Amino acid sequence: MIRPAPVLRTSANGAGLFAGLVGLAMLASVVLAQALTFPALTGRVVDEANVLDQATRTALTDKLAALETKTSDQLVVVTLKSLQGTSIEDFGYQLGRAWGIGQKGKNNGALLIVAPTERKVRIEVGYGLEGTLTDALTTVIIESAIIPRFRANDIPGGITRGADSIMQVLSGDAELFKQQTAVKEAARKQPQDNVYAPLFVLFWLALAAFIIFTIARSHRGGGGGPWFVPVSGRSDSWSSGSSGGFSSGGFSGGGGDFGGGGSSGSW
Amino acid sequence: MSRITASAGFVRFPILAALLGLLVSGCGINNIPSYEETAKARWSEVQNQYQRRSDLIPNLVETVKGFAKQEREVLEAVTAARARATSIQLPADVVTDPEAFKKFQDAQAQLSGALGRLLAVSEKYPDLKSNQNFLALQSQLEGTENRIAVARRDYIEAVRAYNTELKTFPGVIWFKLLYATNKPMETFAVSEDVQRNPQVKF
Repeated sequence: MIRPAPVLRTSANGAGLFAGLVGLAMLASVVLAQALTFPALTGRVVDEANVLDQATRTALTDKLAALETKTSDQLVVVTLKSLQGTSIEDFGYQLGRAWGIGQKGKNNGALLIVAPTERKVRIEVGYGLEGTLTDALTTVIIESAIIPRFRANDIPGGITRGADSIMQVLSGDAELFKQQTAVKEAARKQPQDNVYAPLFVLFWLALAAFIIFTIARSHRGGGGGPWFVPVSGRSDSWSSGSSGGFSSGGFSGGGGDFGGGGSSGSW
Repeated sequence: MSRITASAGFVRFPILAALLGLLVSGCGINNIPSYEETAKARWSEVQNQYQRRSDLIPNLVETVKGFAKQEREVLEAVTAARARATSIQLPADVVTDPEAFKKFQDAQAQLSGALGRLLAVSEKYPDLKSNQNFLALQSQLEGTENRIAVARRDYIEAVRAYNTELKTFPGVIWFKLLYATNKPMETFAVSEDVQRNPQVKF
């Protein structure tokens, strides 16, 4: 739990506590509760189910990083120990949203999700990629590139081929797959997505801090300096807390959104 | 309240005013309109996805007809249900009008039922099941059903936040004072997951 710093020791203590509680209440309304627990986004390949060897993981990570550099699309491969009792469709879009895969505004993220325990696979497509990585294409990729290899017990091979196929489509070369589908997808309008809540929280916290600072100064005459640092330090940690735990110094989601596009398969 | 004993009187008033402003905005005077807008945006998304499903159906009916013309009853049921669903004139305030909302929901549920029967019937025709066009349409339909489910869940959540704000403190104060003409929004009666079409497995 976040508490106001114990250094506040004057009659403005009440005001400080109150402002802190107000800030906390505003922050609480921004952070949403999730029923499922998602693995940490440790990189572009999150192998929670431990089905990939190191060489495969490294090779995949390099290719996925190159894709993002070239097209800014974010593709993440994840294997799950368990679907926690829910369907892979239900899990998929929530995982995509929790990690924020894809660039904010463009929503150009995609996930290749494999749940070996439940024997389910899904390609989850963000709002922005639904026009390129259509449902028909993802079904073809799953049925032709992934499932046959999974059935032959070659999980790493299936994942690699699946990821390669997705990257092929995202890089603009979908002809091979389009030949296998006869129907055009309708173009889809992207929803607007503006989340300024963390900024508002920061602003009001800063204002509260300034007010406390002014009160203390007018009351004590010059002794308010040392307090400013702990209060603003706290608002920094609050802001990073509310943006959802991105991994430091490496890969992180760009804040993209998902709407349930893509398709699934099982073996 | 805290005892603010600022020595200079002219300091006290602005501080109190600023704290009052902080209190007021912290207490969510803007929540009701912003939750309302969010819920309306989510509702547009729901309608968008239902429309997308409607658009897929004529092609699906034609493809099935090519292989299973004798299943006339089921085909006609789907076509009729789709016509009914798309012909409903939704009033602008459908989200706050319980009857209009129920009419919309029922029409879409009926279409879901008819589609489910059509897909179940298609199981009996191996030529149809292996037809590329049909497979593509089927994957698009499944994808759209999933998007509908997600859009509904987002809408239900947005409406929950809005309706709760109208009823709980301090939202209810702002509601009575400033937004008395606002009405609680309708939400879907049954989760789409329960109504989901039977998954056709080959």
